[in-house]
Amino acid sequence: MSDNKNVEAKAPVHRIEVEGEQAHAPPTIPAAMEYDYTNFYFGAGDDPFALLEPFDDWYSQVEPAGYYLYELPLHTQPSTRVDIQDTKTGELRRGLINFASYNYLGLSYRPEVKKAIQEAAEVFGGGSSGSPILSGTTILHKQFEAEMAAFKGKEATLLFPTGYSANVGTIAGLMRSGDLIVADQFAHASIVDGMILSKAKSRFFRHNRADDLDRKLSGFEGKKLVIVEGVYSMDGDVPPLPELIEVCRKHGARLMIDEAHSAFLFGPTGKGVAEDQGVEDEIDIHLGTFSKSLGGQGGYVVGSHQLVNYLRGFSRSRFFSCALSPVIVAGLRAALEIAQKEPELRTKLWDNVARMQKLLSDRGVPIGDSTSHVIPIMVRDDARIFTIGEQLMREGIFINPVRYPAVGKHKSRFRMSISAAHTSQDLEEGATKIADVLQRFGLCQ
Amino acid sequence: MSVVGSYRFHTGVSAFFEMATSDARAVLPSHLEPIEVRHERSVLSVNAFLFDDSVVGPYTEVMFAVIVPPLVAAWGQHAKAGLYPFLAATTSAEARRIKAERFHFPYHDQNIDAQFIETKDRVRIRIFGSGAPILDLSVTPGAWETTTHLLQGFMMNGTERLRTIMQISGDYTVHENEGGEMTLFPHPITTDLLRQEVSPYPFREHWFKNGTEVFHKLEAF
Repeated sequence: MSDNKNVEAKAPVHRIEVEGEQAHAPPTIPAAMEYDYTNFYFGAGDDPFALLEPFDDWYSQVEPAGYYLYELPLHTQPSTRVDIQDTKTGELRRGLINFASYNYLGLSYRPEVKKAIQEAAEVFGGGSSGSPILSGTTILHKQFEAEMAAFKGKEATLLFPTGYSANVGTIAGLMRSGDLIVADQFAHASIVDGMILSKAKSRFFRHNRADDLDRKLSGFEGKKLVIVEGVYSMDGDVPPLPELIEVCRKHGARLMIDEAHSAFLFGPTGKGVAEDQGVEDEIDIHLGTFSKSLGGQGGYVVGSHQLVNYLRGFSRSRFFSCALSPVIVAGLRAALEIAQKEPELRTKLWDNVARMQKLLSDRGVPIGDSTSHVIPIMVRDDARIFTIGEQLMREGIFINPVRYPAVGKHKSRFRMSISAAHTSQDLEEGATKIADVLQRFGLCQ
Repeated sequence: MSVVGSYRFHTGVSAFFEMATSDARAVLPSHLEPIEVRHERSVLSVNAFLFDDSVVGPYTEVMFAVIVPPLVAAWGQHAKAGLYPFLAATTSAEARRIKAERFHFPYHDQNIDAQFIETKDRVRIRIFGSGAPILDLSVTPGAWETTTHLLQGFMMNGTERLRTIMQISGDYTVHENEGGEMTLFPHPITTDLLRQEVSPYPFREHWFKNGTEVFHKLEAF
């Protein structure tokens, strides 16, 4: 059995077929594509519905020109080959190489995970049917919290229904009006929304710059929280934690890390980027999601008993939400067990990442400065990113286009996610097709 | 909508800097909201245009504005962005008089001097007042294209709320590579800006060449 045991055992047969595909002429880019969501934030008049019609008129023009590439429905599990419904043509596109999913270890469809889910469904049914503080907590939740705490080497865990609610609930649960929160400028929307909800004073430091963090913390008297991410999801880079910790200590600030894209992947035991950089115990709040490497859903905070007890009482996003489904929790327990028992999955992932970076670089594909499994393929052409994305889909590649305002103007890119489940053939074929398409658009060096 | 002013320019730059939203709100009238690039961070637009043909002949203008959302009424003649100029200065008293009358821009009442120094990889604009430096702004290019921008400009005439469509056409480049920079020097024009927490590096750099700036008739709203 290869290093890749079971990971791709149930993957669909590799095939590139398009049912009833017609020859497509190169599309023209409508002028409406020069606009984006930011242009429809405020409207004239007093009616809250005033923007609905102009937005709808605009969207009807830009959807067929590329926006339809978002929310394409899958007909298969998020394995390395997927069948996609092309909502523009109605065609079912089969066997696309999947570089779009967060299933970094290929755990969401492992037989052990599916079996655990099925067994939990028999015992507990589909949903938790209650807030975690009332009737929504099952014995599975308690067992999983203990297992997560043990895995992360911390005293306690608090589960949240999503990663988004974990950030919002933790930040707003801990910080108050008059406090200061300083986050990296590329912090995720859930971090920013938590900052807004907390009513604390908010500042942002330049991406990964400890000197700017020092400047932003200077002169403030009071409670201070600094927030960074383990892997930044648009660029795939990681923070310089030792430098940032030094600045936090200098100013008496607490440090929180969101390891949404890095937990279960980085470090000798997979704890995350903090472990990888040898500073696991120097960070005050560890937060993350289960929707990525564990292939499930939900979020968590791990830390001291005192921290978890406090957040249990003050994280409104948690106790005013329904608890995670016990079915999901059962799958997560199985996934966590696999992630710990099979470190070769992480080895395979990092081998795949190195392999793909080389394949793309050798073909002249611009891939930015990523040091992780998230590889940005830089297009830097806001007007043509969707046209290129459409071509990639037709060539058999499923990958997410990202353009302004999700990234800066003219920093359009495809966000490639590498999985331990990708085979050498997936990587070779994917890199070749991507390079071919980019070459047609003059984007390969 | 009728055109009430057309100005041909040789070079125009618009550099966007982050500023504190509390500072942005302080200069905006109550009916306008600043656009935030992130929570509590709004946008200061520093604009410098070298006009080579206008009703008053060639002149240079520098203008500071807060970026606000355009008021969308219908899809079609749709402004990409809105701006509220809160301070402007020119090298021409006549240009200042005409634009203040027509568009109610808040001008500094003394002439300035300006230098545009263009090289292959940047344009540097140096603004002086009575020989003393006021502003040193550099903007760098990305990919060039020909474009037309529609903007909504907002002004106040006393308590009257006004807006106009501004159309800028010409060769154009924009990027967010943070290649530019700005230094503000102590001067009556920059006094308020120096009190604010304005980043010295523009997060977005616009550079126009060989184009036209057109103002449509003001309307009250």
